[in-house]
Amino acid sequence: MEFKVRAYRFNPETDEKPYYKEYTVEDYPGMTVLNALIKIKSELDGTLSFRRSCRSAICGSCAMKINGITKLACKTQVSLEIDKFGIINVEPLANMPVIRDLIVDQEVFFDKIKAIKPYLLGQREDAAHNIFKTLKEGEKISQPVYDKSEFKNLTGNEDTPNCILCECCYSECGGVVGNKDYLGPAALAKLYRYVEDPRDIDKNGSRLVNGSMPNGFWDCVHCQSCEQFCPKGISPVKSIVKLHEKSIKNSITFSSGSKHVVSIARSIGETGRLDEIKVAFESGGVTGLLNDLPVAFGAGLKGKIPPLRLKLIKDMEDIRLAYKELDLEDKL
Amino acid sequence: MITYAYYPGCVAQESGKELDNATKFIAGKLGINLIPMPEASCCGGGVIDGFDKNLKLFINGRTLALAEKEGLDIMTICNTCTLTLSEVNEELINNPESLEKTNEYLAKIGLRYTGKVKVKHILYAVRDDIGFDKLKEKAVKSLKGIKIAPFYGCHILRPSSAVKFDDVENPQGFEELIKALGGEPVSYARRTKCCGFQTILVNESTSTSLAGNAIYEAQEKNADVMVTPCPLCHLSLDTYQTVAAKNINKKLSLPILHLPQLIGIALGADYAEMGFSRHNVSLRGLMAKVRQNDI
Repeated sequence: MEFKVRAYRFNPETDEKPYYKEYTVEDYPGMTVLNALIKIKSELDGTLSFRRSCRSAICGSCAMKINGITKLACKTQVSLEIDKFGIINVEPLANMPVIRDLIVDQEVFFDKIKAIKPYLLGQREDAAHNIFKTLKEGEKISQPVYDKSEFKNLTGNEDTPNCILCECCYSECGGVVGNKDYLGPAALAKLYRYVEDPRDIDKNGSRLVNGSMPNGFWDCVHCQSCEQFCPKGISPVKSIVKLHEKSIKNSITFSSGSKHVVSIARSIGETGRLDEIKVAFESGGVTGLLNDLPVAFGAGLKGKIPPLRLKLIKDMEDIRLAYKELDLEDKL
Repeated sequence: MITYAYYPGCVAQESGKELDNATKFIAGKLGINLIPMPEASCCGGGVIDGFDKNLKLFINGRTLALAEKEGLDIMTICNTCTLTLSEVNEELINNPESLEKTNEYLAKIGLRYTGKVKVKHILYAVRDDIGFDKLKEKAVKSLKGIKIAPFYGCHILRPSSAVKFDDVENPQGFEELIKALGGEPVSYARRTKCCGFQTILVNESTSTSLAGNAIYEAQEKNADVMVTPCPLCHLSLDTYQTVAAKNINKKLSLPILHLPQLIGIALGADYAEMGFSRHNVSLRGLMAKVRQNDI
């Protein structure tokens, strides 16, 4: 069966602006999009540029937009795409500048990975830890980061250390689309991986404090794209939510993001409902309120005002009991 | 007649009351019996697990148990409520440890959950349980000639491990509904992207640039109106539209409907019944177009 590949083309040295070029390719059973691109490059057009290496969904090089969604070309079957879209439309990853055709400049992505300090901090002080010893027969070194059940439970058997830095999540991230300085899902999932690592000696909680700064983990828009489109089954957004939970439990609540979450929890604990006015005020403080005044005023003129005092839900004591059972009353 | 436990969520009972009213209007016309849940709490606004994961399980497990006690499935009208209840449902069904822990709490308030409840958003309740044919039968106005941009938002589609109504890569449920009502769905890339609402009080610039660019793209595709299945998206797209326009430095003026309002128009509701005066962007132009379209 013949099918069409419509490829994004752009060579900044010769082209004024990007354009699309169509190629007709002959399919074979099990053909992947990467197979198709390699066929085009070797048989039809040697100038088509794209990254590729392992062809086994482990190096992450061939991430690109396929029919509008970021995927690994080597892991994407041509037949499934043709069934759904009738064409293979390939474009470079989003949220990064294009160098040529399907190749993007990854510098900004890796700068953000570096920004979270992707290495163990500090020195263990216990002397025994620093003594090298020969393992006895059958003895194994335990890998503490994998032993933590909470870590394993994040996404079944898959977890954050399996990230291959392919940038699929970064390309799909709503937070980065809206704010190019946002650290993004891969870097923040990696941050969580170090926060949870018992070998990391972060005495003053600097990871959580730095991550709570603007462009950090409170800027996640919860669009769930990173989890949905990760080719390795990792859920960065769940790692980000864990960072939220951990910060609040450690009373690192200076950011408006954390104030927002605590305020919602407080509102539910008091009324069983989300009090829109109170949450708006407590999240942004006076500055936020002043900033939102024109919007609130406009909405007010249209009668779109939430009640000033909310009626409690029926059986409110059930909700209070949930907070009590979980020992959360002092966190409000 | 089909009966659901009705979970409108907080915004539809507070600033977005027009959505609750429109839902009740179309439920009456389509023969959907909505049983109120006065004991149900807020789902946690999509962020409560950032405070405490078990609290998310407990309060939403309680809502699911309340519906199960009545032998009813839950109908939602908010994407974030849909995702939160669906995520908790999946967790309680698939993780015996979480179910046991939640049931220990529920036992203390005289409830128990066994995993029988289904959570359905109204879009897919209409598609699957009412059917678009019945919707066509009941329609008294056609949306013929009206270009409608469906804005799915995130939490009705993603993650597909929890919400399983549609094809996450190329959803069609919304477009099918628009076609059933005689309207013309507008195809645009941002129809499944994020409205930014979750950070509107935290980082307004990020948030409104997402909403603004989605509106701008639909406008450029000549949409007459955008429709959303989520009251949180509606706040971003309609209430904050003026701020979004300023932020992205583009002229925006696209009316935004709640999904039940779109169905309501086709079922013959008037301007007041749908609460259109509460919208930021006027719907008078759209309604003038529809008025000429008697079936």
